[in-house]
This record gives sequence, structure tokens and C-alpha cells, in this order.
Amino acid sequence: MAEKTESSPPLPALSTAYSEDGVDLTLIRWMLSLTPAERLEVLQNTVASILRLRGDQN
Amino acid sequence: MATKTDFLAILQTMAGRDVDYIVVGGVAAVLQGAPVATFDLDLVHSREPENLNRLLAALDFLEARYRTPGAETARPTYSHLVSPGHQLLMTRWGPLDLLGTIGEAQGYSELLDRTVTLDAGQDLSVQVLDLSTLIQLKEQLAHDKDRAVLAILRRTLEEKGKGS
Repeated sequence: MAEKTESSPPLPALSTAYSEDGVDLTLIRWMLSLTPAERLEVLQNTVASILRLRGDQN
Repeated sequence: MATKTDFLAILQTMAGRDVDYIVVGGVAAVLQGAPVATFDLDLVHSREPENLNRLLAALDFLEARYRTPGAETARPTYSHLVSPGHQLLMTRWGPLDLLGTIGEAQGYSELLDRTVTLDAGQDLSVQVLDLSTLIQLKEQLAHDKDRAVLAILRRTLEEKGKGS
């Protein structure tokens, strides 16, 4: 069997993704990379999608 | 009543009528980068007489009604809004909580110097309670729901500190 020559880049350690108390820091860093207006848009889209899943909103 | 949640539209309605308010709660946290979800917009409003009249006009446009059981047809009035209590409303653009005071009886004037001004989009600037004060208030409340979000707010403040 041919030896695999290409390797995938190593995944970042999961320990850097969470704080000691279990908070997902990747989400915080993503939100902080956005403007306040973009953050509000993310929230509104999140609320709308959850309500749609619940069947509350079309 | 509400068919689409649109916090920005509620804030624009307030701004269009020169209502003085501070955004607090989950939307304030989100505007400052905390990845939390919230289903209502919490505002601490100025209880100055002229502001209350402007607020009532905005609430009329928003078709605001109480969302508390048994009071769904009641509209907020001047005497409700001048009180330090909390008015839990439903509007044409979703749930809106108007808070006369929060924490240890802190109202608009006491909180104003603990706010940041942020651009919420579409040329709308809003006064938002700063993240440190939001954390302090949630620590005082110590409800289960507040404790759950406290860790996220604290880590967001830390990460903001690293970036500044």
C-alpha cells in the first residue's frame, strides 16, 4: 500500500478553545471580531432561527 | 402581535422619538461581544416627565401591550412607567422589558456614566451598560439564569482586555 505523503494540518489543541470554566472562547473571539451592528444581526438571526425551529415564526 | 423579532427596529423607534434609555441585559452583552442568546430587549428608561411622554408615543407606535398573564390587552401608562418597577411588554417587533430601576435601585441617571456608546447599525447610536457593570449586576442578582451567563460575560471581558 502506498504510503500517504500528504498530511492534514494539525488541529489546534481543544484546550485552547475552552476556558477553565468551560466557556467556548472561539465563539467569544468570533463575536469580538464583529462590529456591534454585526453582533446584533447575529443575535436577531439566532433568535429567528430558534423560533422557526420551534415553529413560532415563518 | 409580534410576528418577527427585530430589536433594531424597536431601538430605531425609540431613537426616532428622542427617548432616553440605556440598553441592558442580554442585548447589551451581545453588542459588546458576548455570545449569548436572548429573546427580549431590556431597557432602563429615563423617568423624567418629558421622556415618559416621548416613551409613551413610541410604545403607542410599537403597539405595546403587557405580556403578563391576564393583562395581555392592557397598555402601559404614565403611572406604570414612572414607577421603579419592571414593565414586561410585547410589541409589534417582539418582547420589550422597560425597567425603571435595576440592581440596587439604580435608574437611568445613576447608570448613565457606566455606559458605552455603540453603533448598532443604520446610523443608530445607542447607550449600552458596560460589560463590567452588567457582570456586577448579575453577581448581585445570583439567579440561576444569571449565574449561567456570568462565566460567558467574565470570559468576554477578559478576551476584550487582551485585544485592547
